[in-house]
Amino acid sequence: MLNDTVNSLDLHRAKDITLLEVLDKALNKGVIISGDLIISVADVDLLYVGIKVLLSSIETMESLQGRHIPKRQFK
Amino acid sequence: MSIYIYGIIDSNDRIDESIKGLNGIPVSYIPYKDISLVISSFNGDIQDITKIKVLEHEDVLDRLMEKFTVLPFRFRTLYNREEDVVSMLKDFYNDFSEDLGRLRNKAEFDIKVIWSGDKIIEEITSDYDRDRDISAGDESRGKLFMEQAYNKYKIDREFEERANICITVIDNFFSRFASEKKLEKLKSKNLLLDAFYLVDKERQGDFKEAFDSLKASSSDLQYLFSGPWPPYNFVRIEYGKD
Repeated sequence: MLNDTVNSLDLHRAKDITLLEVLDKALNKGVIISGDLIISVADVDLLYVGIKVLLSSIETMESLQGRHIPKRQFK
Repeated sequence: MSIYIYGIIDSNDRIDESIKGLNGIPVSYIPYKDISLVISSFNGDIQDITKIKVLEHEDVLDRLMEKFTVLPFRFRTLYNREEDVVSMLKDFYNDFSEDLGRLRNKAEFDIKVIWSGDKIIEEITSDYDRDRDISAGDESRGKLFMEQAYNKYKIDREFEERANICITVIDNFFSRFASEKKLEKLKSKNLLLDAFYLVDKERQGDFKEAFDSLKASSSDLQYLFSGPWPPYNFVRIEYGKD
């Protein structure tokens, strides 16, 4: 039982870490083509968006558990 | 209604598989020459940006990565009109094609290495303090200040030298599997290395094995591994950034 709890905590932590990686990459990296052509969602600083996303509630985090997050390992 | 862009793939073939994108809307493809832009329609505003949407963006790229080489676009790339999207695809075709060629059949892997930076600084500081005690005498405040500043410089330098030695060993170990790499050193005192390696899909198994063996052989350092990722850190197209 204790092992199950520990494993569950480990899994939760691993998911959180992977989620942070996803956020870091998707929000801060990748192809950028902007200028006259592009119209972004709003003039909000990306970093601000990132922080806002990271500060979402634990409830939201838990609701993500059912989603297909990673087929990645994070050890 | 806007057009949301996920990325570019190295195929113009008709793709029958249904992939759901942001808000559960299926993605579609705009082919041009031998590549395609992957998009979906999007109806929303900044208030709707949540972690779930970032994960939906990433999920699309993951699914595409199973079959294609993918150039990931940064989250929240939106256009208002399809003709602008097509125009962008044509204008940047050569750049996309060049990047896709360089990244073909490769994936990104991240390795983070954590060490006890605080402890190491304490050790170095205590060594310098001991040396200073030996020579301590009646000193003016100015001289003491200069000595402290110089000691701090020496401590920082030695800390960095120790970090560089460790990083060189670790990087040499992993570089042999990678065609490209990006190293971010000492982002914090304890985060010794945040490294990104671009690895051919055929060598992914070897890379992971190498990681496992290094991790097992070191008790002083903590290693974290993640991947395979779309090659976010290795795309070179940043047009109009800021």
